Amino acid sequence: MAGPSGGNGQGFFTTRVDALLNWARSNSLMPMPMGLACCAIEMMGFAGPKYDSARFGSEAMRFSPRQADLMIVAGWCSYKMSHAIRRVWDQMGDPKWCVAMGACASTGGMHRCYGVVQGVDNFLPVDVYISGCPPRPESVLHALMDIQEKIRNEYSVVQDYEFGKVRERAPIQPENTNKFPGQLEKPKTQDYTLEASDPTAADTEEESSPEPIAA
Amino acid sequence: MSKPDDPRASNPQDPEKLRFHFTPSADSDSRRDDRATDNPHAKDTTRVPEVIEALQDEFGAAVLELERYANEDTVYVEKRRIREICRFLRAEEDFDYFADLGGIDRFTEEDRYEVFYNLVSTERQKRIRLKVRVDETDMTVPSVTDVYRAANWNEREAYDMFGFEFVDHPDPRRMYMPEDFEYHPLRKEFPQLGVPGSLPLPPQTPDGELTMDPFAAAHGSKPVKSYDEPSTDPDSE
Repeated sequence: MAGPSGGNGQGFFTTRVDALLNWARSNSLMPMPMGLACCAIEMMGFAGPKYDSARFGSEAMRFSPRQADLMIVAGWCSYKMSHAIRRVWDQMGDPKWCVAMGACASTGGMHRCYGVVQGVDNFLPVDVYISGCPPRPESVLHALMDIQEKIRNEYSVVQDYEFGKVRERAPIQPENTNKFPGQLEKPKTQDYTLEASDPTAADTEEESSPEPIAA
Repeated sequence: MSKPDDPRASNPQDPEKLRFHFTPSADSDSRRDDRATDNPHAKDTTRVPEVIEALQDEFGAAVLELERYANEDTVYVEKRRIREICRFLRAEEDFDYFADLGGIDRFTEEDRYEVFYNLVSTERQKRIRLKVRVDETDMTVPSVTDVYRAANWNEREAYDMFGFEFVDHPDPRRMYMPEDFEYHPLRKEFPQLGVPGSLPLPPQTPDGELTMDPFAAAHGSKPVKSYDEPSTDPDSE
């Protein structure tokens, strides 16, 4: 796609298209509000007129996963609910991002018991964690700005098509699963491309390309 | 502003009248009458001696034991007659509101479990609590959903958490836990952090295998279950 200009195959054209795509994507995030508990109330404040997420272009909460590209998991998640959340997440079209809002969604929080998943990163690739119980709407805004910054630093073009290591394209496995090799079964199909080629590599960051955009 | 004859009204200048109101106990009426009359909250709704008498007249030996604790009447009744007793209370004694039902694990050798029934009579403003004892060897309890339809979900919850088998329940499914969960979490022997490997997490890919959280994975558990949707085709099985 790009000429022999080095820099991870990035040329002038791709970086410009990247800049345009990332500008558009980062300023039109449509959150999927996965409100599970009291954090959802603060999430409503985040979308409401006082904190006004419309300033960041993400005022349109989409309750259909087909129309959303940012999932905000707000609240504690039970094992029974995790299957529904994962199904919703799988129905969201790429590119998509995930925010674990609050202590419970990030780590399980105070719910250290049999029925609550100890952090939604056990089954979702979380991009941004928000601390707090519940977090204030400013924190959610901050998380949204972090997501925007992450999007603006992505190599959308080469990521979508040709370049980049496989494991850098989409963080499927949470980091801590790599500490238990052999316990988590790998997918059986051979032509599966999103799987990490090197199971010992713990780095699943999406934006881990070594060189910044030369823009 | 309260009316002059409001019993709740007291003069804050008069320290004698600034009294802490508390619920009269069974024997306090004879010692201090003023408590029974002064306390605006003491409607005495939880003491139902006339209902207990009627129960004893009607069912005799099925009323096993009476208990009064914190001024609340509890009637222990025979397990297999709980449905008739509830029907009687609803029809004859106007206990028309089913407030609560739940299980108790006493962790004793015999009659380990209890099921309690909190009933309210909105007509007479009275409350009664029934309890049945359930032994570990026979977890069946007659369902009272015929009498009180509100008992449906409460009995499902009690089944989920303790494993009671409610006979003639219209919809005996679990309430909270997944249907293929093998344990009953509110039993005393259930570990508070759960049984590793009993609850799988969703697959990491749309078509992948079920996974485990690191806690279970560290204990060497493997997912053994399938959370596929049940087939609606009866011939496929």
